[in-house]
Amino acid sequence: MATEPSSRGRLSTIFTDIHFWVPALVLLAGLLLLRFIH
Amino acid sequence: MPGEETASPHEPGRRRSLQLLGLLCGFTAGAWLGAAEAPTKLVSIGVSPIVISLIMVVGVFLARWSLPALVMGTSSVRADVKRAPHLIIWALLAGALWAVANTLTIFAIRDIGLSIAFPLWNSNSLLGIFWGFLFFNELRQAGWRRWAGVLGGTAVMCTGAAVLAIASAGQSASGHSLNGVWAALGAGVLWGTMYIPYRKAYLTGMNPMSFVTFFTFGELGMMGALAFSYIGAAPLWHALVQARGVMFWLMLGGFIWVIGDLFQQYAAKYVGISRGIPLSNTNQLWGLLWGILVFGELHGKSSATYAQVIGGSLLMMVGVAAISFSSAGGQEQRHWKEAAERESERYGVSPEFVAARFDGRQALDEVLPRRNSLDWFLVAAATAVLAGFALIARVPEFSFHWVPAVLLSLSSLALLFVCARKLWRTTGFH
Repeated sequence: MATEPSSRGRLSTIFTDIHFWVPALVLLAGLLLLRFIH
Repeated sequence: MPGEETASPHEPGRRRSLQLLGLLCGFTAGAWLGAAEAPTKLVSIGVSPIVISLIMVVGVFLARWSLPALVMGTSSVRADVKRAPHLIIWALLAGALWAVANTLTIFAIRDIGLSIAFPLWNSNSLLGIFWGFLFFNELRQAGWRRWAGVLGGTAVMCTGAAVLAIASAGQSASGHSLNGVWAALGAGVLWGTMYIPYRKAYLTGMNPMSFVTFFTFGELGMMGALAFSYIGAAPLWHALVQARGVMFWLMLGGFIWVIGDLFQQYAAKYVGISRGIPLSNTNQLWGLLWGILVFGELHGKSSATYAQVIGGSLLMMVGVAAISFSSAGGQEQRHWKEAAERESERYGVSPEFVAARFDGRQALDEVLPRRNSLDWFLVAAATAVLAGFALIARVPEFSFHWVPAVLLSLSSLALLFVCARKLWRTTGFH
């Protein structure tokens, strides 16, 4: 049975999830690319 | 009654039904995403591409709140978010990824032209297949036939898309070709990665209608920030005032685009991103049909151009057929379920809820979605804003063929009706 984590626990789960970091880093790279080509 | 086809969720018949539903959603998405280009073609040159993109995103924002309010009610969105609040972060991330990718495509088209840019950013489907395999167990134990069907079908579709882009491109490169190549590739990587949040949300059980309401904050927030930073507040306001006569057409384009995108979300949910993305990429075919038949875009072009269009279209259809016949079997679906259980455990989402939504059902402890006064207010407000801009809209002088426009509109509406009815009867829009 899954138990609901606290807000702090949830944040730490998010920040240790690779599914968060891959899109976040790709977004950052996209913003840098946009700045570079503009 | 919704869900009347849902009696035995684990039986192979149910699985097949959900797969067929996902494929139908992919086709419908392509038709509506392609139709969204039609209103934007009415806008003549003279408006900055970033301003065009921003106004379309405002139309998208209106649709992303009013359509879910009309179909499911905001109480259903609230209940979904309460069960999986962590997904708001992924919705915002996905919206921001979309906005940056869309802006990159504007620069890519400017610098290298559509014919080179399109095939480059269309690589998003290959990246989607990779992320689906790596993170969400898609195509695991799928067998070489399904692998060949999905990868081969995607490759054939990309080739067909490239041929169509070459045939329909009218512009030449502007002398910043390397920048344009980077921009197009970057857009492909951003769009391909945007499907990670989609798949995560749907494996966890979130309703696509709920996901898009938060996605749009990321989209509008990032697009607004980009417009402010590239144009500046005062020039941006001036540009918006100047563009008020065409705002309705752009917002209408955004609104139609959301209808297509909603079906794309359901396709990602029921056939996964490895099949869903290539299928919804058929929007290029529909966009071209609108361009050629309604706006006479290839009028006076050589027979070689028409041959390219026919050849490219046939290639895309062959690719679609290959992917459609490679839907996930029982073993692969068991791997999908494992990925869903992993999400449930990690974020403390009720396994019963995740399992029910995975099967396209409502969980036993869920209350039936119901509309309230806030929902009607949202629908009325969105309608009033669109009607207000329609009143001040200019009808541009344009070569426009009514008969194909009516036929294409009726075909899109028929697909919408059939697909929405199937979604309602099979899953109750879950």
